[in-house]
Amino acid sequence: MGWDSAFLLELVLRSFGYWYLIVPAVVLGVVVGAVPGFNAQNSLIILLPLTLTMEVEKALIFMVSLYCATHLGGGIPAILVNIPGTGGAAATTLDGYQMARKGQAQQALVLCFTSSVFGGLITSIATVALLPWLAQIGYVMRSVEMVVVMLFGLTLIAVIAARDTLKGLIAGMFGLLIGAIGTDHIYSTPRATFGFLELLDGVPLVPALIGLFAISEALVMLDEESIAAGDARERAQKANWADTIEGLRLSLKGWWQIVWTGFVGLWIGIIPGAGASIASFVAYQQSRMFSKTPELYGTGHPAGVLAPESANNGVTSGTLVPLMAIGVPGGSTAAVMMIVLQYHGVVLGPRLFIESPTLAYGVFVAMAVAYVFMIFTILPLARYMARVTLVSTGVLVPIIVSCTIVGAFADREYLFDMGLALVFGVIGYIARKTNFHVTAMLIGIIIGPLFEQYLVRALRLSQGDLTVLFSSTIGNVLWALLALSLLLPYWRGRGKKVSEEATG
Amino acid sequence: MAQNRFVPARRRLLQGAAGLAALGVAPAIVRRADAAYPERNIKVVIPTAQGGGADRLARAFTETWRKLLNTAFEFDFFPGGAGQVGYELFTGRRDKDGYNLLFGNMGPEMLMYVLQKPKYKFPEDYFYFCRIDVDDSAVYVRDESPFKKIEDLVAEAKKRTVSVATSRLPHPGSIGVLALGDALGAKFNLVPYGGGNPTMVATLNGEADCGVLPVALPIKIGGKVRVLGVFNSENPLAAQTGNAPPINKVFGTKIPDLYSSRAWAIHTEAADKFPDRFKLLNDTAPQVFKDPDFKTMYEKTAGSWEQASYGDRAVCTRYAMAMVELAERYRPLLSAKK
Repeated sequence: MGWDSAFLLELVLRSFGYWYLIVPAVVLGVVVGAVPGFNAQNSLIILLPLTLTMEVEKALIFMVSLYCATHLGGGIPAILVNIPGTGGAAATTLDGYQMARKGQAQQALVLCFTSSVFGGLITSIATVALLPWLAQIGYVMRSVEMVVVMLFGLTLIAVIAARDTLKGLIAGMFGLLIGAIGTDHIYSTPRATFGFLELLDGVPLVPALIGLFAISEALVMLDEESIAAGDARERAQKANWADTIEGLRLSLKGWWQIVWTGFVGLWIGIIPGAGASIASFVAYQQSRMFSKTPELYGTGHPAGVLAPESANNGVTSGTLVPLMAIGVPGGSTAAVMMIVLQYHGVVLGPRLFIESPTLAYGVFVAMAVAYVFMIFTILPLARYMARVTLVSTGVLVPIIVSCTIVGAFADREYLFDMGLALVFGVIGYIARKTNFHVTAMLIGIIIGPLFEQYLVRALRLSQGDLTVLFSSTIGNVLWALLALSLLLPYWRGRGKKVSEEATG
Repeated sequence: MAQNRFVPARRRLLQGAAGLAALGVAPAIVRRADAAYPERNIKVVIPTAQGGGADRLARAFTETWRKLLNTAFEFDFFPGGAGQVGYELFTGRRDKDGYNLLFGNMGPEMLMYVLQKPKYKFPEDYFYFCRIDVDDSAVYVRDESPFKKIEDLVAEAKKRTVSVATSRLPHPGSIGVLALGDALGAKFNLVPYGGGNPTMVATLNGEADCGVLPVALPIKIGGKVRVLGVFNSENPLAAQTGNAPPINKVFGTKIPDLYSSRAWAIHTEAADKFPDRFKLLNDTAPQVFKDPDFKTMYEKTAGSWEQASYGDRAVCTRYAMAMVELAERYRPLLSAKK
């Protein structure tokens, strides 16, 4: 389909007409995303009896609006209480929570909302315009290329380790070891499951996330009266609309950051099997690499919020590309959407764009419209949400622990997962008290199994020949970029040292 | 007289007592009569992920079945360990009362049963009682592939090792490819992708030379892939697969018919303890196939109607045991433990 402005305008107006579906879906999505353990996928499954009875277009609009909003919602607790609502918001904790600790929770929330909305908005518009070409990404990203993409994410462990090399690497390796629990990817042989049925499929992300971040953070919080303490508390108390405007100014300043990290998310979202967690870690790592002030990352740097949030919302339109273009869902949420579409007899694939362009393109336009609604719904609330950092930890901690423990159960409905979350809570608490970085652990847990899966698959395809890892042009370009990622900070550091020595 | 007077009084007392007792008991009796199975939702364990073939087919089937049973179905998904998690959970942690069923893919999951040696026993702990479909395993390539016929693929596999994307190693399709390689001296390298959708992507993007999947998925993808052959004595979907031939007919091999079959299963203990409940399930399930609504739903979500095929407990058990035999035969090639 060529660029047909009249048709697109009609789609935009049509989507706005469905405001009565989009607004509740957005509100529900933000709440679902903000509670660890609940996510778009399990919410859409619960809502299947509703969506299966709706008209297909309405059902799809409702589902994508909810899906997009969960990605935004995940960043809220990541910033306010250092607890990512979803795996995709884990990278947001690195700088978002540091901002909250400094009494800049409101600015951090505004950065999160604007980058989520504009990252999602730009990439959904780009998807409408570039769909035939974007669909090709799924064809060129194979196991070899994905090995390198995963390594981009894993190098973030090295970045975190830069502050304390030994402890950072130990934490990362510990995460990788935990990620190796479960059945192997070829023969399904159980490894280190200790006879637990619940671990056959690997260590589940949600209890690990809840334990390492929520429970351990709650225990650490008890040492202080509130999240924003001392001067930061005073600053947070005085927060007003000017802080919202300050957040908007910082977002505007980082507009380019939002755009390109959004596209990183879109690109990773299109690849089946990858997802928001990978996208946000890779975007954070890349953002830091290209930054003129990489040393500020991890200390409450606005760009450290913009990059992961824009990327994890860029993923949303990407995930739908393989579903709509070739009829293969790119992720678990898209798989649930496919149930609804097939239930209504929608034939997915290239024919859909010819036979039902209103539905095929309409879904991405609806996504863009949902983001527009989102900014107006959520932005004014930043000021009030930020007050959480002033709440006494005596009140906050029991709420966090009880809500997140329920969240640990909700994902798979195993009591075992509640115990697992507590175990990870203790591990996380010890790690925090001894300065081992829990994010490095989480990166290992999330990316480790995917890295292993792609590596083992590539090696099986080549029958053990390691040179397969350098056998593709795109893969080799990615290897070169990876090498550059690792060498650039070193060169920069050296250059800086030389210039400092020169200036005396 | 006193006695006479007493008797009626005693009778009245006894009648009254009986009446009172009846009043008390009657509701219980009425309750028992009303409490016809099923009085609550039936929970279904699906040992694969949401959005997969089993999910779609289970929903299509229960859409009609629920009307016959006058109840609703709730689905729980427990993928992992090639289906082991779902089966262990069903046999070990679900009440054996007829309110818990399992919907699985008999072929790959019986292979998993043999290769991974889980804690449960078949058919002592559960059995399949209603087969829904027969989905032949098919070898396919992407449209741009140089392999136009199954003979081209085998000829290439005699020169070099050909990579084959498969959903999992313990799968009827994987066994078909191994058997074909054995029979013809061709070298195939099976690469498991952990599900039908990723397997399809691996073939479409050319990472693997070809793929082997139940034929419904290649048919759904349409013109982007070409089916080269099926592991069955006949190909009932010839028209939809570009007249793909039965592989045995091309090469004169004697590979057994290999297909996926989704089926309903129940705890053996539940069927023994509550025969009426099992009878109701067993009697109503075949009726679903006669409902035109199911046909419509099946064609929308699962595959071609020609693939829908009811099989009773005996048919299912026979098929499951045949899979056990196949798994034993190919164990060294399908398992890490040689």
